Amino acid sequence: MLKVNNVSKSFGNIVALEDISFDVDPGEFVFLTGPSGSGKTTLLRLILRELLPDTGEIYLEDQDITQLRLREVPALRQQIGTVFQDFKILNERTVRENVEVALAVIGLDKNEWRDRVDHVANLVGLSNRVDLFPSQLSGGELQRVSLARALVVNPKIILADEPTGNLDWETSERIMQLFEKINQEGKTILMATHNQNIIDTMKKRVIEVKHGKVTKV
Amino acid sequence: MHLKTAWNSMRRSPFQAMSAVFVLTLTFFVITILCILLYSSQQVIKEFETRPQIIAFLKSDAKEDAIASLQQKLVSDERIKQVKYVTKDDALKIYKDATKENPLLSELVSPSIFPASLEISLKDISFASDVIDQVKTDGSVEDVGFTASLKGQSGLGDVVQKLRNVSWYIRVGGSALAIFLAFTSFVVLIVIIGMRITTRRGEIEILKLLGATSGFIRNPILLEALMYAIFGTLLGWVFAVLLVLYASPSLLLYFKDIPILPKETLKLFGLLGLILGGELIVGIVLALLGSSIAVGRARKR
Repeated sequence: MLKVNNVSKSFGNIVALEDISFDVDPGEFVFLTGPSGSGKTTLLRLILRELLPDTGEIYLEDQDITQLRLREVPALRQQIGTVFQDFKILNERTVRENVEVALAVIGLDKNEWRDRVDHVANLVGLSNRVDLFPSQLSGGELQRVSLARALVVNPKIILADEPTGNLDWETSERIMQLFEKINQEGKTILMATHNQNIIDTMKKRVIEVKHGKVTKV
Repeated sequence: MHLKTAWNSMRRSPFQAMSAVFVLTLTFFVITILCILLYSSQQVIKEFETRPQIIAFLKSDAKEDAIASLQQKLVSDERIKQVKYVTKDDALKIYKDATKENPLLSELVSPSIFPASLEISLKDISFASDVIDQVKTDGSVEDVGFTASLKGQSGLGDVVQKLRNVSWYIRVGGSALAIFLAFTSFVVLIVIIGMRITTRRGEIEILKLLGATSGFIRNPILLEALMYAIFGTLLGWVFAVLLVLYASPSLLLYFKDIPILPKETLKLFGLLGLILGGELIVGIVLALLGSSIAVGRARKR
């Protein structure tokens, strides 16, 4: 599903990633862990083509995304579901509208929006919250909206960057249960986190990054 | 979706939206008035041009063939639009028509006192002086009169100069004012759209991460600018039309026979519709250019 081959990335004199290589198989749930500043987020940004590596290749299925032209990047991102620590929710839109935005971006027929949104809202436990605005929701609920938005486009892989970073332990646990449920339904997940409790509880494969290098695959 | 996004964006910052619309309203109000003034001034000039500006009074003993020869010579002159021969009888008839409310005046004159004449219309009033000099030299001509006058100024130079001045002020002054106002609107649009993009920076970042294309992100911004342009143009046009309709009875009465505005309703609204169409095109171009520049500037930041 995802293959990272000898990827290096520097910002000026600072080496963020050095000769990183790993694979993620279809349907797998993989943690990307390491201390703050170890390069986890940089790696996710490379996969999203927010950044280009200095060397190396990154394959999503059989496509080397480092070779994509700028105008092909949106199509790549439409195949990837993203969940962030700060939720990245549109505050002026309701939960339903926030999820619908992702469907508008992929150009899905408007007639199909309601069913798709209702389905994912039910999956993440937000069926009775779809008409509320973000300001009316808790942190855990906002992360569920973010997850619903990522899922609604039926992505090939979900990238999650510290999705529990802003949540208390109890809420984090429930969100992780949700990720587990989604993974069991066949979705591939690559999650960056430095929360050791979560990693220990979930018992999934761990890729550890320290000082820009993979220390454990 | 894009239309809803653009509309919501306008609703969220109503004062910014209002300032953009009002500046465009003022611009297109002035442009509409200028267009109508330009049309009216053209009508006034046309009226003067189509009226016979020069009358060559013929000698009473002038021979018919000499008159015909002079008429033919004038008709073939490229500076002259039309030449009309007015016989003594025609001149008397014109006099009688003009004095029909006072029959005594008609009875007091004899047909013999009215000379035959050639009424000459010029293609451009600036040719008048040369044509008068030329006609005066003809042996059949007794005297030459210049009929065009404006508000009591009878001198040829004054009349021509005044008409030219009026036309110049409306064309050049009006165009300069219109360009200045259009440029102001353009700058205001760039600033306001730029502010909108800054406000929406977070939203744009999220849309990019979701895989939105440049068009998907840009279209609501362009639509918002188009809405400002369309609302502004329509409001400016409506206010100007209301003013023109309010003032037109007095203006038409003042200018009497000169059709400074079309008298038929259909033609009047045809003219106003033409102006609106042109203004909408200008407004749309301003909006598209302004928003494109604002988007380009935001990308560079």
